[in-house]
Amino acid sequence: MSNMTLEDLDRDGVLQESIDALYGPTRAELLRSAVVGGGALLAALAVPPATGAEISRANDVRVFQYALNFEYLQATFYTETEQAGTVAAMNQPKAVWARTLGAHERAHVRIIKDVLGEAAGKKPFFDFQGNTETEERFTRTAVAMEDLTTALLTGVTPTLKSRPLVAAAFSLLTVEARHAAWARHLAGIVPVLGAVDAPKPVAEVDRIVASTRFISSLDPRTTAQGRPRFVG
Amino acid sequence: MNDTGSCSVAHDACAVDGREAVSVDGGPALPPSQAQTSRVTRTALLGGAVAGAGALAAALPSLARSTQAASSDARILNFALRLERLKAAFYEKAVAEGALAGELRQLARVLGQHERRHVNLLLRRLGDEADAASEFDFGDATRDADRFARTAQALEEAAVAAYIGQGANLTRQSMVLFAQIASVEARHAAWIADVLGVDPAPNAADEAKTAEQVLAVLEKTGFERGS
Repeated sequence: MSNMTLEDLDRDGVLQESIDALYGPTRAELLRSAVVGGGALLAALAVPPATGAEISRANDVRVFQYALNFEYLQATFYTETEQAGTVAAMNQPKAVWARTLGAHERAHVRIIKDVLGEAAGKKPFFDFQGNTETEERFTRTAVAMEDLTTALLTGVTPTLKSRPLVAAAFSLLTVEARHAAWARHLAGIVPVLGAVDAPKPVAEVDRIVASTRFISSLDPRTTAQGRPRFVG
Repeated sequence: MNDTGSCSVAHDACAVDGREAVSVDGGPALPPSQAQTSRVTRTALLGGAVAGAGALAAALPSLARSTQAASSDARILNFALRLERLKAAFYEKAVAEGALAGELRQLARVLGQHERRHVNLLLRRLGDEADAASEFDFGDATRDADRFARTAQALEEAAVAAYIGQGANLTRQSMVLFAQIASVEARHAAWIADVLGVDPAPNAADEAKTAEQVLAVLEKTGFERGS
């Protein structure tokens, strides 16, 4: 895994197309050749716990804190698109889709905050760079975001030490995958990337999210442990 | 393997470590409102065993008694293999029968390729522990476009719920494979649902089904004919 590139993971190039559309060809070219893996958090996640619940708990908390920031990102994105009137201007199937995804991501935020309790970080501040304002930009961003979330959860789910949390993560993973497929179908592209969904290491997800500059500030408690910050 | 024999194999898989990772009622997911969706799914996620702010801490004691073994992996992987073989044969037959047109035909081709790959990945992981394959008789389900679509939806939804229900019971290595397949099954389910005009993502968190519940779906189809 450590020497794989995005190109290796994206066998049919469909993901690359959405990244091209979202980030422009120059940055996409950088992403294509960037070696995946090697991030501090990824390394931490890959190491099996020596013994005892403390290490497991720390790992699981970090994974869910990370997932929470992602759900905040998505929930806020859909909410802002509704508030901007972009959803109201869509045709009926697309408006239903956009509202459903918003409701789900807001529910995910509540669920993960419940799971984390006091360890839950605060909602970051976001700037979606105009991507909530037109249907076309919203749709492209939604496709990329849902595919990315699916890749993130595919990767982190097997690293969770608590079995009930693994089960919970599976239940969220398949919903994000449904969102991605639904988004792609409405956008007129094949809903499935390949026979398996390739996981993306957290470090690569970090790089992609940072490149969007969607997150303008983040709760410092969730960026500890040497993990690269989102802030662009 | 006859039907009764394979049934008990999967029943064992269901009770792998004597507890249900998500003890969710496996009834049909039909949330009529957003409020109800979030209530249902929160319950589903927290699984009854864990609730409220202390959920994560409460979940931890289960570590001590969860030592997943390769032998239980084989039972679960064989259960998944049975599902994937049935689906692979179903799509292959549907394409061969020639009753599908347009997007349904494309869907059957793509999903058939994926399920064959899943079969191969599971076979590779199982090695000589893989169960023998069944014969199938799909009747009109592969000869009529409407029946095909409805059957495909039922099979894909069963697969999603089966992967969620069994994923947490696996060793880490097998879990990695399950996660990568589960999300693809969810994409399949959403795709066919959108083609049928059904809600592609009816819940904020998908529900697990036990092996018995998934087997009930399989047996209701009557597709399996033993080996």
